[in-house]
Amino acid sequence: MKQNDDRDKGVLEHVLKQWVVDAPLPPGFQNAVWDRIARAEVTPPSAPGFWALLARAVEMNLPRPKFAWAYVTILLLVGVLSGTLAAQRESTRMNAALGARYLKSIDPFHRSPSD
Amino acid sequence: MKKAFLILLGGLLLCTAAFSGFYYIGTASCRSMMNEPQPGLAWLKNEFKVSDADYARIVQLHEAYLPKCGERCQRIAELNSELEKQVSQASTVTPEIQKLLDQRAKMRADCEAEMLSHFLTVSRMMPPEQGKRYLQWVEQQAFLNGQAMEAHHH
Repeated sequence: MKQNDDRDKGVLEHVLKQWVVDAPLPPGFQNAVWDRIARAEVTPPSAPGFWALLARAVEMNLPRPKFAWAYVTILLLVGVLSGTLAAQRESTRMNAALGARYLKSIDPFHRSPSD
Repeated sequence: MKKAFLILLGGLLLCTAAFSGFYYIGTASCRSMMNEPQPGLAWLKNEFKVSDADYARIVQLHEAYLPKCGERCQRIAELNSELEKQVSQASTVTPEIQKLLDQRAKMRADCEAEMLSHFLTVSRMMPPEQGKRYLQWVEQQAFLNGQAMEAHHH
């Protein structure tokens, strides 16, 4: 078995030594190869940034119905919740201001905590 | 890419619309009270669930109270002014200054008594539970229990 392998190897080496490539290279082939090597060395491929990854994820996933519905539902809930909370806070503030205004109309010397 | 962008934009618009809508609805009653001719009284009606008939009587009472309150405030302001003048000319508490202090204290006490009477009358025009709550709220506002004066010493 080993003898066969050695013999094949010897034949292959012999054939390769005799092989002559006579097809001409395209013009500027060598320069083009060296240019590509030089470019690859100057600008190594960098990892994509956060925004690029995000954009790619959005582009790939958002058109899928499940993702689209989930995204829209979450944003709708965020809008409803934040709108309700902001309204509650503002109403509390306005109610306090109106109460203070009522008292001030009865007692001009009254000082509310905000005075 | 275009579809994804449209969905992204649509979601953001929906979020903004939901926020604005719920904020607008949630603050509508307060904004409406602010635009009333007498916002303080409109607040009273809303806060203590006063009926329209009782509200009309409370408004009448309030309008009758204000001129008398204005007169008392004017009198206190005159006494303050006179007191300042006397104090600026004296190096001790003169009998005139003492008299002015007594008069001002009496006037303030009268003011507080009138205010208390007004609050009690208003509370009686409300449903009993609300009237009680109204009086509790008035008490919390510090001017019937003398907290405003005491606060200066803490």
